[in-house]
Amino acid sequence: MSAAGQENGAGVSDGLQLDVSVPLDRFSLRVRWETSEPSLGVFGPSGAGKTTLIETIAGLRRGATGLIRWRGRTWLDTARGMRLPPERRGVGYVPQDSLLFPHRDVTGNLLAGRRRAAGAGRPAPPVERVLEVLELAPLRRRDVGTLSGGERKRVALGRALCSGAGLLLLDEPLAGLDLPLRRRILSYLLRVRDEFAVPTLVVSHDAVEIRLLSRELIVLSGGTLAARGRPEEVLARPEIFPLARAEGFENILSGAVTAIADGNAVVSIAPELTLTVPGRGLAPGDRVSVGLRAEDLILAVQPPAGLSAQIDLPGTLRELRDADSEEGPVVLAIVELGLDRLPVVAAITRQAVRRLDLRPGMAVHLIGKTQACRLLALSS
Amino acid sequence: MLVFPPGCLLGWVLARREFRGRSLLDTFVSLPLVLPPTAVGYILLRLFALDGPLGPRVLGFDLDLLLTWRGATLASAVMALPLVAQTARVAFREVDPRLEGIARTLGLSPLRTFATVTLPLAGRGLCAAAVLGFGRALGEFGATVIVAGNIPGRTQTLALAIFSDIQAGRDAEAMRLLALTVALAFAVIYGAEILLLRRRGRP
Repeated sequence: MSAAGQENGAGVSDGLQLDVSVPLDRFSLRVRWETSEPSLGVFGPSGAGKTTLIETIAGLRRGATGLIRWRGRTWLDTARGMRLPPERRGVGYVPQDSLLFPHRDVTGNLLAGRRRAAGAGRPAPPVERVLEVLELAPLRRRDVGTLSGGERKRVALGRALCSGAGLLLLDEPLAGLDLPLRRRILSYLLRVRDEFAVPTLVVSHDAVEIRLLSRELIVLSGGTLAARGRPEEVLARPEIFPLARAEGFENILSGAVTAIADGNAVVSIAPELTLTVPGRGLAPGDRVSVGLRAEDLILAVQPPAGLSAQIDLPGTLRELRDADSEEGPVVLAIVELGLDRLPVVAAITRQAVRRLDLRPGMAVHLIGKTQACRLLALSS
Repeated sequence: MLVFPPGCLLGWVLARREFRGRSLLDTFVSLPLVLPPTAVGYILLRLFALDGPLGPRVLGFDLDLLLTWRGATLASAVMALPLVAQTARVAFREVDPRLEGIARTLGLSPLRTFATVTLPLAGRGLCAAAVLGFGRALGEFGATVIVAGNIPGRTQTLALAIFSDIQAGRDAEAMRLLALTVALAFAVIYGAEILLLRRRGRP
């Protein structure tokens, strides 16, 4: 153990170092990825090998070969005949179907990995705190068979946290939940990230989910790595965007509610940049994330006048990219907003590009409808 | 009852392990289920006979199985093994291996995972295996009579004793043993049922 602990991957001793291949039925999963970012995402369509990758990292795939290192410790090094068993990797795996222990109640599930937490070198979050953050206290004595899908997800997440995991592995954490429930679970996930600061690797086929939950993203396609980078940037790449769009791509704008007017909420996303969104259930001070589809945004080369649209975001046109969608060709106009140069994608036609003589570097306005905004996450 | 742990172990091996010759082992374990009990008894008799492969001449010491209560136990165990092993195997098969995987990622060693996840989840099936094994052992006749004989007070099992009493026309004796057998069987099955109910009804 101590020998493994002293080995460092060059430059990423504080992060993840992956160079693995796993034989699958139809193809082989092959991924090389080195990063020190603690908030990681894996995006790809169903069947791209995402779950295989997460199970490989957890140590549950016997056929995996190659190298896995996490924070300077070697988990897998088949060249040297080294394979750390799953119980010694210190991960918190939250599978898509939660996989709670059916013979234990909620408390029994939460405490299933507590033994490790006691012996782990790092401090594990107190059980009481986990119960509080995930609002699980009222469910403590419940039989897991009586829980709803969202409750099961929270218990599975709590179980991983209580075990003192050093790396959370979340497989499609929001799949199979309706929008209001997704919003709630998402809020829980963001709260967990802020409260417990556990590094996280999220796997998802949902472009919105992955964008909200990760700060560095890889895209898997047919078992190989197709792209890597910041999620907002990667998902807008011409070769990735068609896939991202098919999986529900939305621009995501986050900020604080500054006022409620006529039932709508004004959200400040940056100095001088505000968004007017449907305000039901919101109060001043709430932190929200709002989704806006690329197709719902209009590009204007001058400040809009005489329009009913409430959203006007001034920015700079950075890039125009030709892309193909299922319906036909589109041009992705990537507009940077504010000092942080937050990229926002508008899908427009080629005719529009010609008619307005759009060129990178131009000052433009993104126009949007309040009704097209979707509230994705909310924390009070 | 002796056969329960090895039977469960065999069931687990058959359910979870991939190895060459698994089908062969499977067939071999199931053999007593299909063979006439007297044939199994005869095989055991030849195995442990004076000059058999496991007899005193070859081993150098006497296992003292033939015509003893130990022999009766062995015969019953061999006959019960396939039922226990196959039922246990089904029980283990029904435990989702992914649950065991989750337990491992939570820091539980393979042994602890087996004790706290696999066993409790297979519990009901294992209980059924025990009841079936017990039933088979209780009723076992053919193999026992050949290996252990039917010596009153020494190797006479309930099944053998009832047979002897009927043959000899001791109806009262037979009825007494019958009542004992029914009571025993009832107690075991009812006990198992109560155990299962309690587990299922747990909050």
